[in-house]
Amino acid sequence: MAEQVVLVTGASSGIGEALARRIARDGHPLVLTARRLDRLEALARELESAHGVHAVAIASDLGQPGGPAALVDEIARRDLAVDWLVNNAGFGTAGRFDRLPVERELAEIRLNVKAPVELTGRLLPAMVRRGRGVVMNVASMAGFGPMPFSATYAATKAFLLSFSEALAVELSGTGVHLVCVCPGFTRTEFQEKAKIDVSALPSFAWMSAETVADQAVRAARKSGVLVNGTMNNLTTVFMRLAPRSLVARVAASGMRGQV
Amino acid sequence: MAREIALVTGASSGIGEALARRLARDGLHLGLVARRAERLEALATELHAAYSIEADVLPADLTKSGAVAGLVSELGSRGLDVDWLVNNAGFGTLGRFDTLPLDRELDQVALNVEALVELTGRLLPPMVRRGRGVVMNLASIGAYTPTPNMATYTATKAFVLSFSEAVAVELAGTGVRMLCVCPGVTRTEFQDRANVETGHVPSFLQQSAEQVADEAVRAVGHRPVVVNGLLNRVGVGLLKFVPHPLLTRAAAGFIRAREG
Repeated sequence: MAEQVVLVTGASSGIGEALARRIARDGHPLVLTARRLDRLEALARELESAHGVHAVAIASDLGQPGGPAALVDEIARRDLAVDWLVNNAGFGTAGRFDRLPVERELAEIRLNVKAPVELTGRLLPAMVRRGRGVVMNVASMAGFGPMPFSATYAATKAFLLSFSEALAVELSGTGVHLVCVCPGFTRTEFQEKAKIDVSALPSFAWMSAETVADQAVRAARKSGVLVNGTMNNLTTVFMRLAPRSLVARVAASGMRGQV
Repeated sequence: MAREIALVTGASSGIGEALARRLARDGLHLGLVARRAERLEALATELHAAYSIEADVLPADLTKSGAVAGLVSELGSRGLDVDWLVNNAGFGTLGRFDTLPLDRELDQVALNVEALVELTGRLLPPMVRRGRGVVMNLASIGAYTPTPNMATYTATKAFVLSFSEAVAVELAGTGVRMLCVCPGVTRTEFQDRANVETGHVPSFLQQSAEQVADEAVRAVGHRPVVVNGLLNRVGVGLLKFVPHPLLTRAAAGFIRAREG
């Protein structure tokens, strides 16, 4: 019988790393994946010695065509069965869309959208057959409304949020839970990679990756959308109820200083 | 000397075809993109005869890697400048996601999302440089409501809506207009391809492709999003206030597969 494991994508830093640590603390065996194998291996060794869980590091490039399939094949080859999929790997870009290199926008879509769809598509059927499992998609508050100057990023998160909400209903009664985690500003490498200047943001606007991960793991027991943080929850209520054009304008004025 | 055209993807049927006809009637030269070259040829000949416009046929499968770049390159070789881009090509599937062929779900993302973003990304900068142009992105009323059994499709449309609304704000002052079109149930081949039953939807809630095309063209420059059909617009406005989990479950009841 294959060992049941939790697969965390983008586990080499940020929310993915925090999720891996938090899940290991609960005693679950893990497969950690990202492009940076050295970081993954260091993390795997640390989790094995700290929590006594089996942790495997597998390098993958989920933004490449064939990347997700290769990862799934490698996991099967090692006789592991994924019963908890954490689709966390992703990145953002910022700037006026017509001035941004289109190849990077497309890479963002491949990683933030296509990879989660493909990994879910490949791993969900077995979970449904077994009658248990979790698919946890890390979206963002940006999924709740359009974000000028981060148009593609917010749209990829809108996709993930919509996709997760629909799947959660499809899967009711199957024993498989679909959780969509929507963090706000979180202290990770995200802003640096996206080249956003966030030095002006007050400290209370931030959450730590550990807090996001802790809330996410507690929410894994049932399907639903989790927005991390009280203030963020209030913001998403505004984003849902206010006219979308107003939401877009508010987001735009927030982004203008940062890009 | 370059010719300015309106480029319409998915022009071989449905809303794409209706938009091509409407734009030809308004005197625009066209570039018609779809997989079915014979249909495009027939349409091009008909529109040339009826409206004296030039219609270039550009067969392409936009789900294939490199297809968009190839299309843009072909436009360049033929001396065609796109000043009106209609990102219409798209399709949907019906069924519980875990039971559907994955390749087709990924093709939906490739066509409804990636091709749209790539075409926009490649054709928008010249429009901005010229200080004029239109980008019209076809989403769907499903963009507003995650729909079980059409999870991937409605998610792709949520992407298109969010993306279009954001870029529309970015383009303020450039002279280029972005419009996101959100049709409701429309009488086209969509239902056949997706195997969706719409017979239970009363006809006053359905629109023809011509109505959708007409409303869309008239909305350009006036607002960033048009939800087609008065009742659909009212519905979208009211549905904002329904809690999402409830809304999503209700949407599931609306979608039915065809019998047989």
